Amino acid sequence: MKRRIPLVICFGIGILMLAQFMIPHPISREFGSTVNKWYIVLAAFALVLAIGNLIRHHSTKIRRKKTDWPYSIVTLSGMVAMSIIGFAGGIDPDSLYQTIYLNVLAPLGSTMFALLAYYMASAAYRSFRARSLEATLLLAAAFIVMIGFMPFGQYISPRLPAFAEWIMKVPNMASQRGIMFGVAFGSIATALKIILGIERSWLGGKK
Amino acid sequence: MKWYEAISKIDRRIIYLCLTIFIILPFFVPFKLRQNIMPQTQQLFDFVESIPPRDKAVMISFDYTPQTMPECHPMAIALLKHCFARNIPVVGLSFDIQAPGLAVEALTTVVDELNHKASNHEDSLFYGKDYVYLGWKSGFTAAVLDMGESIAGVFPRDYFGHPVDSLPLMQKTRNYKDVAIAIVLSASAYPEYWVLYPQSRYGVKIGAGLTAVMAPKYYPFLQTGQFSGMMSGMKGAAEYEHLIVEKGYAEKLGRAETGMNSQSIVHLLIIIIIILGNIGFFFTRKDQKRS
Amino acid sequence: MALLLLIFSIAPPTQVQAIDKPNDAGSAILIEWELSKDDETIEKYVILRSTLPDTISEKIGSIIRGNNSFEDDNTDNEKQYIYTVAAVKDDATSYSMPSDIVQSSPQFFNTGRTNILVCILVFTMFLALFVQRARIGKKLFVRKIPGLDAVEEAVGRATEMGKPILYIPGLGDIDWTATIASMNILGEVAKKIARYDTPIIVANRWSVVYTVSKEVVREAFIEEGRPDRFKEDYVRYLTEAQFGFAAAVNGIMLREQPATNFFIGRFWAESLIMAETGAQTGAIQIAGSDSVLQLPFFVAACDYTLIGEELYAASAYLSREPLLMGSLKAQDYGKLIVFVILILFMLLSFFNINLLYLLEVQ
Repeated sequence: MKRRIPLVICFGIGILMLAQFMIPHPISREFGSTVNKWYIVLAAFALVLAIGNLIRHHSTKIRRKKTDWPYSIVTLSGMVAMSIIGFAGGIDPDSLYQTIYLNVLAPLGSTMFALLAYYMASAAYRSFRARSLEATLLLAAAFIVMIGFMPFGQYISPRLPAFAEWIMKVPNMASQRGIMFGVAFGSIATALKIILGIERSWLGGKK
Repeated sequence: MKWYEAISKIDRRIIYLCLTIFIILPFFVPFKLRQNIMPQTQQLFDFVESIPPRDKAVMISFDYTPQTMPECHPMAIALLKHCFARNIPVVGLSFDIQAPGLAVEALTTVVDELNHKASNHEDSLFYGKDYVYLGWKSGFTAAVLDMGESIAGVFPRDYFGHPVDSLPLMQKTRNYKDVAIAIVLSASAYPEYWVLYPQSRYGVKIGAGLTAVMAPKYYPFLQTGQFSGMMSGMKGAAEYEHLIVEKGYAEKLGRAETGMNSQSIVHLLIIIIIILGNIGFFFTRKDQKRS
Repeated sequence: MALLLLIFSIAPPTQVQAIDKPNDAGSAILIEWELSKDDETIEKYVILRSTLPDTISEKIGSIIRGNNSFEDDNTDNEKQYIYTVAAVKDDATSYSMPSDIVQSSPQFFNTGRTNILVCILVFTMFLALFVQRARIGKKLFVRKIPGLDAVEEAVGRATEMGKPILYIPGLGDIDWTATIASMNILGEVAKKIARYDTPIIVANRWSVVYTVSKEVVREAFIEEGRPDRFKEDYVRYLTEAQFGFAAAVNGIMLREQPATNFFIGRFWAESLIMAETGAQTGAIQIAGSDSVLQLPFFVAACDYTLIGEELYAASAYLSREPLLMGSLKAQDYGKLIVFVILILFMLLSFFNINLLYLLEVQ
């Protein structure tokens, strides 16, 4: 029974949402919008649970003095401080909240993003090895694209930049589209399997 | 450890150190590399070049964030320099909440630089006459569609609080009919939606400036002619800087050039370490086979 | 005077037709016309509407020259309307003949999506067929997927080392199919974990994904008969900030040194930041994503990568459940049909026959 109820809800709502996609009538649109509103309400409740989990995890860590526990103080105080500042002073462009957002959070985000350059270099060094025929082809294509897009490329051959561009536009695009076809069918199959109750891993098993 | 084993197992910290040095070096030791101009950048430059002076405006949608500023900001600067040098009015706007600060910074930098050089009143740039920044608007789809009817209807006041109807430039730029091209500078899906909505309904020409990682997704838009040109990543920005310098619209190259120098030699470094890794791998494997 | 009028007058648009906009929720009428003969020189077309029984026309919009259609999306379904289109140039205006009477109404089926419905029905048919064949015990072949074969080994290794397993269900919210597929894989991984009694850390970006993944892990422990071994702290909520999340995950990797990292779901630019940190800690890494732009990064930094649809096949592969295996076969046949259609349309295009409109979706 505990399993059957979620399965019935999933099947019912799944079929209704599919029908909603096909029916443009205002009643159908109203239904779609109501379901979306329900999702927003559920997400808000879930956020309360999630924040509860965050607070519980970090306060336990502080209490038990686990590894690197001072960072948990930073996390919790940051969360509380930003909430108070946001509620008290608003989030207008000139507010303290926005100032902190633009001058602390945005640069921190940029810093994390910038780390990509370092990680790309070390990952490329480690993995771009001509271990097999396929790996060698990949390596050759990567070399042509990298050199072709660099200013040095034209000194090696004036045709190299155009060839690099061709690799991006034709073989690269073709393989991406091939993967996307598979992804599309996988998505449809997953959705149908869940709606029809064939896939039950999300409920913990087959029973 | 044999030499070939050493080069196939370089410590990542050594790679990081080399990378840091290679990134910083071009900022202190400037050098000039001849840029090979990609056709899509040339196409965008040629389009702006073909717009008659003091006629229709170029609309620039500043939709990039601080994270993607190194790639998109130099594009904005180069584009603004090109437009102002050719007396093409510019209407700026944003749909990304994090973008207005960067847009105002780009406009102020270019206008201050050009006004500093201006010898008379005629050469100077004036807000409201030569350029306008409308600010940020939520509800992207509705806003870009409604601008086809009336820009002032969507943005009643500009970023600085002036009524848009009172600005001379906006009195003659009423809707997309008065816009020569809308150029979208972004690291996300905005350019695609500019094509989908205002271009398909009002036929407005679209150009784009995208981060390098996003650009491959947009090549089909160039092939179909839906984009009238595109700058791709820092390289695209550097190419545009070269084009405006070549034509005499700017005296010196901008930040993208320096950034591109860093990027180019970092690419070279990566190519070298990959070659080293492969040499090491080749000899190690040979050694293993023999033993 | 007459000559002057002739010089300055402009030709009006003709053949104005107004129809109820098809496949919509009502409240919209489409107006189409033949362009004015002076279309090259005029400024715009102004669209006027009169609501019966009134005969007074009001301007409802305008469109620049060269366009021959306009959508009036502000109509009442009960009312009747007549439209007129005027060509405008400076002070000169030239009106068309009025359209027939028209009324907007909502529809009960979007015919523009018939193709999707047909595809879903055909696909469901295949699904039912192969699920039925699996049910009667027919053996279905599935090629080896090394990334999924390694799951058992990865869980075993973590158990031997006494270290936790880190599972990232992507950075997409629950409405991404990849996240749902990830939840299915998490269920299977959690069952193995419950069997071996290995700690797991599931790090989440979205609150709804957090609650779902917590239930999935809890249910897996119950399924394996080990509900007492489930700990609340196994499933954690971190932050919604993209790079904040990446930083938090890196922190977990460096502090808790998981033996195995799973990156399964939808990822964006943060993928390599997490995967490379994981590689540096020496963990076995299994990634799976349908984010085409991020796959190369995972291939470079992880031991195994599930590419695109392999992600969606994982749940069936891991559980070896015959019904789920049957669905994989249906996917293959679906792809075969698309492949045949692609080849057919390509061949037809050589003869200038374009059937692409059949694939258009409204």
